[in-house]
Amino acid sequence: MGNNHVIKVITIIMIPFIMLFGLYVQFHGEYSAGGGFQAGVIIAASIIVYDLIFRLDSSEEFLKLEIIETFVAIGITIYMLVGVIGFLYGGNFLDYNSLSSAYDSNSGQKIGIFLVELGVGITVSSVMILIYHMFKDAGKS
Amino acid sequence: MMLILIILATSVLFSKSLLSSIIAMSFYSMVCAIIFLLSDAVDVALTEAAVGAGISTLLFLKTLSLVNDQVDIARSRDIPSFMIFFILSILMVSFSFNFPEFGSISLTDQAKSTQYYLNQSMRDMGIPNVVTSILAGYRAFDTLGEVIVIFTAGISVLGILNRGKE
Repeated sequence: MGNNHVIKVITIIMIPFIMLFGLYVQFHGEYSAGGGFQAGVIIAASIIVYDLIFRLDSSEEFLKLEIIETFVAIGITIYMLVGVIGFLYGGNFLDYNSLSSAYDSNSGQKIGIFLVELGVGITVSSVMILIYHMFKDAGKS
Repeated sequence: MMLILIILATSVLFSKSLLSSIIAMSFYSMVCAIIFLLSDAVDVALTEAAVGAGISTLLFLKTLSLVNDQVDIARSRDIPSFMIFFILSILMVSFSFNFPEFGSISLTDQAKSTQYYLNQSMRDMGIPNVVTSILAGYRAFDTLGEVIVIFTAGISVLGILNRGKE
């Protein structure tokens, strides 16, 4: 599959657009369709496509397994930390209102939702890459 | 649309090559996404397109590169499992008659909370997308559980497939 020049050229052109669309879905999720889950899947798909087309036969690892594992944990930690910050300001768990500034009462909600979606996106994309990686390794041994 | 779905599902079942089955499944997800899009469920459509047509097709293709493409399917005549399948499908069709009418929110049990979310979301959150505000705002705790499920799935795959290495 990786030897076809048409597939390689098309993939080179498409991958930046897929990543850009993933970032758009991630950071524009409050205003249009989408959110962390979809964005994570799209970004992971772009990385997996790159690996599938260009590095099918190469034995070296594209991303170190430890890095991917760390990102799986980082995403869920961001989510939990946003929840715990609510405690520190005297609110409930995941109470975004405590993040608000004095002038805009909704800003805390926006910041909270943004951070939470970021955590979801990081966790989902790294879990998808992790599963793909495990499949790839399972085929080698 | 439904006719296309039925044709695609049959072609997934009866095609000789696994590759064409995978492509037909991907196309099936895409048609599902279009149906969701036509029903104004944009977020669900995006999820179906990304997960169903995108990432699962990639994982299937990766798996296909590890196994043989041509598989002779043993067509077994298993009467009990066919009976179970038949009863379950009749049950599902009969349940589908109890669905609330398309587009009406007054029939559901959660009508009050639905109305509350739709009316108050902009004032509470200041975010135009009601789906995001419910998912990450009102129901953030449920979403945390969802993320933990994904996390656990990733860790489990790591644990199962990485076992032979050490």
